[in-house]
Amino acid sequence: MADKAILFDASKCTACRGCQVACKQWNDLPADDTTNKGTYENPLDLTANTWVRIKFTEVGDLPDLRWLFTRISCMHCTDAGCVQVCPTDALYHHEDGFVAYDRDKCSGCGYCVEACPFNVPRSGGNKITGMRKANKCTMCQDRITNGETPACVKTCPTGALKFGGRAELLAEAKSRANEIGGRVYGEAEMDGLHVLYVLADKPEVYGLPAAPKVPASVTVWQDVLKPVGWGVAALTALGLGLNYVVAKRKIKIESEGK
Amino acid sequence: MATAKSKPKATPFLYRLFGAPPAPGEEVVERYSKSVRVLHWVNAVAWVVLFVTGFFFVVNQFGAGAQGGISGVFHRIAAVVMVGWAVMYFLGNPKTAIEGIREAFKWGKDDLGWLKAAPAYYILGEEGAMPPQEHMNTGQKMWWLVVLGAGSLMIITGALMWFFKDIISADAFIWSVFFHQAGFIILFAFSLLHVYLSVVHPLMRGVFWSMWNGKISAKYAESHHKKWYDRIKKNGK
Repeated sequence: MADKAILFDASKCTACRGCQVACKQWNDLPADDTTNKGTYENPLDLTANTWVRIKFTEVGDLPDLRWLFTRISCMHCTDAGCVQVCPTDALYHHEDGFVAYDRDKCSGCGYCVEACPFNVPRSGGNKITGMRKANKCTMCQDRITNGETPACVKTCPTGALKFGGRAELLAEAKSRANEIGGRVYGEAEMDGLHVLYVLADKPEVYGLPAAPKVPASVTVWQDVLKPVGWGVAALTALGLGLNYVVAKRKIKIESEGK
Repeated sequence: MATAKSKPKATPFLYRLFGAPPAPGEEVVERYSKSVRVLHWVNAVAWVVLFVTGFFFVVNQFGAGAQGGISGVFHRIAAVVMVGWAVMYFLGNPKTAIEGIREAFKWGKDDLGWLKAAPAYYILGEEGAMPPQEHMNTGQKMWWLVVLGAGSLMIITGALMWFFKDIISADAFIWSVFFHQAGFIILFAFSLLHVYLSVVHPLMRGVFWSMWNGKISAKYAESHHKKWYDRIKKNGK
């Protein structure tokens, strides 16, 4: 099936944050307590109960001040660190390409929280017992697999958010980027994000990582240590089995000879 | 026709499983004190719990065992029991404990000789070249070093993941998981070897019981731990 994606056009976002509210409403997420930090940006960080937020960035000074708005949520990577490290397959790639989540399967290990180069998944629960659950945007998998658009897209009043086939959205993003003299973010990052950005400036200016990568520690762990572990286990079992067969025979013959 | 009387007594199931203990009347020597045996078995049970519950977090095919997080709770409980008991043992018997730990680091030329002669001994049963051994032979010292080394690694990385998750960097956390799983692989392999040598290997059949009731046959002690045996004999028990 062709990959689905969300297109976020930063140049059209007014930071009304209807998407934040719609996300909470559809996914039944309680509000977080926040404090006023002297900015309209609220909340200031994702939490286990806040899966999407708009980040406010002020660039330059008056009279050339630019107020930039960025959608911060799961990027739905193709090369996803969280999917690689999840021990229970609670996080997995949906056939539509995005990173889906089966909350019941989550063990609360928290590996995904640390393996994400965008710092997206968060876990909430008891830290001492480890009885907790990771949370992140699921691209409203319940909605989109039933022909609806994600709640945030549905509510967006300016058309800054769009949902559709990734290929079509990418083409649209490119032509829009041309139009405004900006650029597209997400085409090749992490082998292709399923949230595409039209940005008027460099991604760093918006607070997005210029070259996100799955941490090397994750790669060494998954692609080196795990196969080595199986090798060691197999060799140990084989070695002991062989030793038993030979030793049993030799030592029996010896004692018979006595 | 054989009658019931002439039939040899059936070997008890556990003897078939673990080998037979010293025969009644056979001379035995005290090998492990009661507190050491209890420490060993508390540790063993906790290790099995830790191993099984940890396995769920390592192999995705068994990930179902980790779902919901309850196995993680058992993992933590077992870790606390294991570490807690070891600490209590240490505080209760500091002299014996320190002496016991030092055993792992006392290496001499008989250990080199042991390493050279070990393959022929363990594979072919050729005892001739084996040098006399202390209370712990060289192999046991290596196992003890692995337990101390990998055990410390597990405690440190485990504590980092458990208590310092929010403080350490994401990369430090992932590396903690990495080294925790590396320690898991090492301990898995050596635990298998440990069980094999104390239960399965044809030359060691029966020594299992010394960790159960503390006694080992004098004959075994003399042939496997000559230096230790001579010492306890001389010191007169």
